[in-house]
Amino acid sequence: MKELQYIVSSMGGIACLLPSNETKTMYQYTDFDRQFVHARAAQFRDQLERNLAGELSDDDFRPLRLQNGWYIQRHAPMTRIAIPYGELSSRQLRQLARVATEFDKGFLHFTTRQNAQFNWIPLPRAADAMDLLAEADMHGIQTSGNCIRNITTDVFAGIAPDEVVDPRPYCEILRQWSTLQPEFAFLPRKFKIAVSGAVEDRAAIGWHDIGLQLVRNDLGEVGFKVLVGGGMGRTPLIGAGSTEYLPWNQILVYIEAIVRVYNRFGRRDNAYKARIKILVKSEGPKFFEAVEEEFRKILADDAGGHAHIIPQAEFDRVAAFFTRPAKVHPAIGGFDPHRTGAAPVPFLRWLDRNVHAHQVEGYRAVTLSLKRPGLPPGDVTSEQMEAAATMADRYSLGELRVSHDQNLVLPWVREADLRAVWHAAKDAGFATPNIGLLTDMISCPGGDLCALANARSIPIAAAITEQFDDLDALLDLGDIDLHMSGCMNSCGHHHTGHIGILGIDKDGAEWYQVSVGGSDGSTLSGASVPGKVIGPSFAAEEVPGVIQALIDTFREQRAANERFVDTARRIGVAPFRAAADLVRRETAVAA
Amino acid sequence: MKFIDRSTDPWLLLPDSEIAGPAPHRLLPLAQWEAVRDNWPADVPVGVLLPNTADAEALAADLPRIALVALEFPKWVDGRAYSQAHALRARLRYAGEIRATGDVVVDMMPLLQRCGVDAVLLREGQRQSSAERALGFFPMGHYQGDVLQTRPKFAREVA
Repeated sequence: MKELQYIVSSMGGIACLLPSNETKTMYQYTDFDRQFVHARAAQFRDQLERNLAGELSDDDFRPLRLQNGWYIQRHAPMTRIAIPYGELSSRQLRQLARVATEFDKGFLHFTTRQNAQFNWIPLPRAADAMDLLAEADMHGIQTSGNCIRNITTDVFAGIAPDEVVDPRPYCEILRQWSTLQPEFAFLPRKFKIAVSGAVEDRAAIGWHDIGLQLVRNDLGEVGFKVLVGGGMGRTPLIGAGSTEYLPWNQILVYIEAIVRVYNRFGRRDNAYKARIKILVKSEGPKFFEAVEEEFRKILADDAGGHAHIIPQAEFDRVAAFFTRPAKVHPAIGGFDPHRTGAAPVPFLRWLDRNVHAHQVEGYRAVTLSLKRPGLPPGDVTSEQMEAAATMADRYSLGELRVSHDQNLVLPWVREADLRAVWHAAKDAGFATPNIGLLTDMISCPGGDLCALANARSIPIAAAITEQFDDLDALLDLGDIDLHMSGCMNSCGHHHTGHIGILGIDKDGAEWYQVSVGGSDGSTLSGASVPGKVIGPSFAAEEVPGVIQALIDTFREQRAANERFVDTARRIGVAPFRAAADLVRRETAVAA
Repeated sequence: MKFIDRSTDPWLLLPDSEIAGPAPHRLLPLAQWEAVRDNWPADVPVGVLLPNTADAEALAADLPRIALVALEFPKWVDGRAYSQAHALRARLRYAGEIRATGDVVVDMMPLLQRCGVDAVLLREGQRQSSAERALGFFPMGHYQGDVLQTRPKFAREVA
């Protein structure tokens, strides 16, 4: 079956029809991949049927459904769909839209780990939904559970001007290696790997169980700097350096060594102390010595140890999927938004905030903002998914990315198409020019939907969005990362927010702990560090006022053009705390 | 995969307190094996029950006279014994029986098999027919190598 893809040139307004398989911008499933996903779907159907028939108890079914992405939540199961390293085709997005329409209430939520979640699919229909997703090469394998999760990376992988090495082929090789790895399916706790290949770390690698930084040595050879033991949760810790340079082809063996040491020695007596970060912190250098010893033994003694050293031919096979698309032709001459007369201010603002530099001259990456009034951060409707898929086909070679910040990105937009993309984005509700600003907040679904959450995040996000609806004021405030989690599981990465909000439960009521000065490790935010809590938690009604107080304090104390996080580092927590305390009503006594 | 029938299985697990005299089909907890190993006749095959916290490599010198290593799953989601099975097969080249015991359930079958376990004592109430079916969902094989198929998919294709 040949699908057709429309490539519309806004320059000449000429539409031409091309088969989509001529445009290869991302990994294409092989027959093996496809058979594998269908086999997994059949295995899950068998498990589900045994559960529904009473043969498999709910308790025993739980870890199995989790490893296929199925949680039981407040209203219905939540299912998490893997989007490997955040790359999504228009065809896949359309299939997600179809599943949202036919099985859900017409919504999809994107997560900080570049995955997608449905909140309303009834469990008895789970296997049917998975079959539909499998048609578009999608699944929920290892999107939850105590196993190696979806590998995440830089949203601008393969297109970033500051890229040293394209991380995507390595991500794909790691995806394949980690998928149904039999020894590491039941680790002490979840295990997350992030890879960055650029100067700027846009993947928060220091906050992952394993963070991989692609580097080149003096000879120009590619290798990995490996960090181990980062993580959020109750004990936020930054990954420690395990090796400064590991030749790229040994990465599977090295990760096998790390995960085996963790599987054997990680704590299993207390879920809050079970992540690898606790083992690394408690063992210190002994942990890294154990990893080195295990690595040596795999290569010296194990049957099959050497077999996992990646051959150049295999790397080349995978890397071929990620070569620059043939249709991408650099366009010299620069981009002038005023070429046809003075451009409207909203367009210029959108260019400034939502449009990003590109490796290829004449191209840009465009963020479709999923942060706007009326919808929770990171949510899209079925109609918006269809619109985004159409935009991807017209303007981005059929490819999209899911960002760590819960937005969608069109990675292959020609500068000549920017005006048309802006209009299309406005029509679909994606054009809020707020990327990197206060209202471009990261948030988990929170207590409205998630059974784990202590507190709701959607109403807080909505209140803040409403309160800071003046675009001039927002732009004046500049870059601010606001991150919000409904519980200590930290799905909303509150530790890394310049402003962090954490929902906590006290005597069955919702309370919110607020922190200031956290960093995800990006250049803008500084070295990875968790934010500092500004005192006892606040009542839900107080939170918007607290955020206002923090912003007002920033405005008063700000040096010229200073960013919020820099002001916070310079003046410390005390002034923010004092201002926030003035907002307390319900919690006045506690303060 | 061999499914152990409790009623016909000859292996006798001795409690920690009982001092084992050399006899066939004795399954000794690791601590007890360590106490009697020096006096155990070389021609009497023995079974050793390995707690999942033990280092399988500590058994290396004894493996030629161990006919059965029983691994323990105190809870089926505790995955430590998979690493022990891997060490016994891939690193120590152990060729005797590796038996999964304890909280062993149907859906562990493919993982156990791929880590080198070749016999299971299913938890009471688990259906053998379901366990056999659980072994058959991936006829095309897997991406990464394992104990049975040491080469990952990319190495198999080149060969």
